[in-house]
Amino acid sequence: MKQVVSVSLGSHQRDHEAELTILGERVAVSRRGTDGDLDRAAAMIRALDGTVDAIGLGGIDRYLIVRDRRYEIEDARRLAQCATKTPVVDGSGVKNTLERDLVQQLHDEGIIRRSQTVLMVSAMDRFGMAEAFEALGYTLVAGDLIFSSRINYPIGSVDELAELARKLLPELARLPFQQLYPVGEDQITQSDPRFSHYFAQADIVAGDFHYIRRYMPDDLTNKVVITNTTTGGDVDRLEEAGVRLLVTTTPVVRGRSFGTNVIEAALVAVTGFLSDHPDWGQVVRQANLKGTRIALRPSRQESRP
Amino acid sequence: MTLLEALTQFAYECNHNDRLQAMNRDWTRRIQLDPDDTHLPHYIISDSGQLSVGAGAVDNPDLLITSSEEILTAVFSGQMTPTEPYNAGDLMVKGRQDDVMRLDILTLLIWGE
Repeated sequence: MKQVVSVSLGSHQRDHEAELTILGERVAVSRRGTDGDLDRAAAMIRALDGTVDAIGLGGIDRYLIVRDRRYEIEDARRLAQCATKTPVVDGSGVKNTLERDLVQQLHDEGIIRRSQTVLMVSAMDRFGMAEAFEALGYTLVAGDLIFSSRINYPIGSVDELAELARKLLPELARLPFQQLYPVGEDQITQSDPRFSHYFAQADIVAGDFHYIRRYMPDDLTNKVVITNTTTGGDVDRLEEAGVRLLVTTTPVVRGRSFGTNVIEAALVAVTGFLSDHPDWGQVVRQANLKGTRIALRPSRQESRP
Repeated sequence: MTLLEALTQFAYECNHNDRLQAMNRDWTRRIQLDPDDTHLPHYIISDSGQLSVGAGAVDNPDLLITSSEEILTAVFSGQMTPTEPYNAGDLMVKGRQDDVMRLDILTLLIWGE
């Protein structure tokens, strides 16, 4: 069986092991959190190098692909370079395809409608999803500055998002990653209600779950949430908040939806292709990786006596 | 260019940029720049996003930025990004991380690309 390990800067409390079947092949997956400790993550990658089929980088993006430009986070590059034999991937190779296609599918099936407003808590790391929403005519608010830097400025279009990325990312990508994104224990801090009105105004909340969990208000009645890396506890919390439907962009196994880095690592392990291979897009689609749709509000109503 | 001239230009750019005004409408802070060579402090005050600058110190600054006057001048005039001296240990900032990040973003949006 192929073996994949996701080395994450996230909390070790979210560690888990599971088995995935990708393109008919079984893959053993293990997630190992390093609580934001870059040195420990680097040591772990060095130790794993040559002993597993692929390594995923979790809790950190190596590449942010915004329109025709690719920005590289320096800390992630340093981590990836700790392995010389085993491929190290961050999930950006599947995000663009999977998440773009998912929005189109949800729209085609009438699960979401273009009259609805979308809050993407972060979109520079999910530009494909943001482009898909806008191309389909949805009103989009991107909260990158709000939720990553507490600058109360909603970004209102993918053009503006791309412009801000051009101006900011070449420099911000060089900063220590902890300054850009919550890692380790910072991922499980108390909720922050300062920007709850952006959630209240949205019908669809999408993007990174760490930001959603930290900033979501108690009441998300009737909203659709599109995200991944949720645990069973996260699903319970969304249900308590009244979320109508949770859509994960990656498959759920044993109650958890995997990070895109795990999915990309599994695909690399099985096919031997990296995301720059000309057939990569075809491989991702052939894998037929279905996210999961969890109807929360109806299930809560049904469970009532 | 002197540090005061660089700061004056920085404040002008910020105060005449609608997007930056919108971003900083809830940002009121006192920032002190301490050149560690000339020891002649300067300040930036943001009052709901409207910046004023000057020579001298401020009481109880929210953000204290220490570097050489040459580097401070280069950063606030857009000749150098803050990341470079910060990562090299030539620029020290004391204050809340959110304020440090916001100042980084302001300089990049004024002088970036």
